[in-house]
Amino acid sequence: MEDRRAVRKRNSGERGLALLAALALGLYVVFLVLPLLLSLRSSFTNENPLKAQNDFIGFANYTEMAGDDQLKASLTFTLILAFGVTIAANALGVGFALLLNRTSLSYRVMRTVAFLPQVLSGVIVAFVWQTILTQNGLLNTALVKIGLLDEPYPWLGSPHAALFSIGLVVTWVMSGFTTVVYLAALQSIPLELHDMASLDGVRGTQRFRKITWPMLAPGTTISVTISLITVLKLYDIITVLTGGGPANSTQSTALYIVKLAFTSDRVGYASAVAMLLLGLSALVALTVTGVLRRREVSL
Amino acid sequence: MIRKPLLAACVAGLLALTAACGSGDGGGKESGETALTYLVFETPSLDAKFWDDSITAASAQTPGVKINKIVAPSTDRDGYAKQLQQSGQFPDLLQSITPSNFVGAGLLKPYDKTWIDANFLLPSANSLKGEVYIPPTNSQIVPQVYYNKQLFQQAGIEKAPTTWAEFLDACAKLKAKNINPIELGGADPFAASMPLVGIVSADILGKNKNWLQDRYADKVKFADADMVTAVNKYRTLVTSGYFDKGALGVKYADSITRFTTGKSAMYPMGSWFLGSVPKDTADNFGSFPWPTDNGDVVVPFVGGGSMAISAKAKDTALAEKFGQAWSLNPANLKALIETDGAFPMIKGKTLKDYNVTVTKVFEDSYAYVGQDNNKVSAIGWATNDDALPAGLNDAFYAAAQALFTKDDVAGELKKLDEAWKTAAQ
Repeated sequence: MEDRRAVRKRNSGERGLALLAALALGLYVVFLVLPLLLSLRSSFTNENPLKAQNDFIGFANYTEMAGDDQLKASLTFTLILAFGVTIAANALGVGFALLLNRTSLSYRVMRTVAFLPQVLSGVIVAFVWQTILTQNGLLNTALVKIGLLDEPYPWLGSPHAALFSIGLVVTWVMSGFTTVVYLAALQSIPLELHDMASLDGVRGTQRFRKITWPMLAPGTTISVTISLITVLKLYDIITVLTGGGPANSTQSTALYIVKLAFTSDRVGYASAVAMLLLGLSALVALTVTGVLRRREVSL
Repeated sequence: MIRKPLLAACVAGLLALTAACGSGDGGGKESGETALTYLVFETPSLDAKFWDDSITAASAQTPGVKINKIVAPSTDRDGYAKQLQQSGQFPDLLQSITPSNFVGAGLLKPYDKTWIDANFLLPSANSLKGEVYIPPTNSQIVPQVYYNKQLFQQAGIEKAPTTWAEFLDACAKLKAKNINPIELGGADPFAASMPLVGIVSADILGKNKNWLQDRYADKVKFADADMVTAVNKYRTLVTSGYFDKGALGVKYADSITRFTTGKSAMYPMGSWFLGSVPKDTADNFGSFPWPTDNGDVVVPFVGGGSMAISAKAKDTALAEKFGQAWSLNPANLKALIETDGAFPMIKGKTLKDYNVTVTKVFEDSYAYVGQDNNKVSAIGWATNDDALPAGLNDAFYAAAQALFTKDDVAGELKKLDEAWKTAAQ
């Protein structure tokens, strides 16, 4: 009797799991795999819904990319931003995590504050920063008032300054995420290791270098990979802050794809660029994950 | 055994979910009325109340219609209309779009020509291959140069410049008095392009009204010598320091405030700026057309102001009736004149008929519409046969921003030719 009940219970549990898995798989297929396949198909066409054309053109879109200066500029900008932000946000994340790795209430509150930028919508974050960074914004007003600047500086109005400003905002947003990841990683380090290090007289930076940093390796893999992927497909913050300007100098590849599809009506070509971005993201993610995983294994 | 029905249930659930997502077109019959979707956009002047009131008034004159308003997330209604089209939700009525973007795919239905001819001062101001897709209820001049009379006086400038030489002289005098000569909201690409729109409209289209048609026919290029010479004028303004150095960081909205509060002496902008002139200091502002080499008046002109009708609307006749009612409603025109600086173009009516309160600078600017002068299509703004191909506006805006920091006029113009070639394919 008991055996049968146990079997029934196990079957029921399996059915529940199968249901959940089927749902997840269904959603994945409908909202990810299917659009991806449709996009792949479109990338081999000259699809332009406003000229009612959708003919198969082979690899023409892919060969066109080789001579597309705007695409090259957008890829360069995106890669600089992705690697710059990833390095800065992860460095800040480690720093904040070390500072906030305490148990008192005030530190728990500060952890929440540190995570706040990640919770806010990118559009809201960008609007807030826009009021700070525009020509008549809070930053210029303050810097002119205290005499650090003679006249307002175009934080969003010159190509290099705009790259820096966007990098700053995205780093601020991403540092919330990286802080939480590194905090979790820090808390998973066995206390015994620190105790033993103390007994051996290992302290300060040496302890960080020999124990903490190596033990953060799994967190680093997650944090670096997700930061890179997030910035590689960044769209919302840039759209609000600069719209890709001035003169397309801050146009990310994601923004370029949207402009190609919905301003220039070149859906086929936009799909090909989207495929390129997907491939590039996969390549970067796999390479970085591979390198960082090796570091984990060697521990 | 049990896995198959479960999987089937999941698939059915997902299909139902996707079907539900796709069915929300907001249209159809609702309690005996035909529901039509209407894409609008909001600005500080054309706010939610304006659209709601105008819809209520036009609906009252169109029995059997129920309008479901769709608000574009930005002023880029063309871009949003394209997104809706691609997701199978193309609106039945579309306010102030660029018809040439949509006509190629047969998405728009033209208005009845007899009705257009009977009601508008310039019936073909907005026509596309002989058909009118948006009634020319009002017009704009894009750009005019607005100026601050007090700042001109301070700099010893006695009259508004008419020639390019006088314009440069005025800029030099203003700069010498430490007054920023020209305001530019360069952070918003469309606003950044205003001086370039003025220069190209005045110097190129002013001499050859058919320049854009010639460009379509490949008879002229952006990289031609006359265009390079004209665009070099913009570089002269930049390199002479007649714009604020940080102008590319100034938002359009901030540029209005900066100009109206006396931070700059001149402001090249579309005539919709007239709706932002402060009432209490309105007499301090004047306007003049973008100056030409010899002082000839060239007016970069745009006709439009109303809505297009989807050829696939649930009831195109009813949609057209609604569009007609909206286009002729004097209350709409009153609001557009007072808040958006629109120049009314309805036959048989004067400003007085709309019971509007307008400023002297509005009247002076509007006078250019009625005068017999050289009206040309404002490049990048015209929505008639002279509309730029899809995507070219963005390229033009980017060139304007690039030329603020780069000296390579010929290179930027060559890029426009390349963009044109791609867009026209």
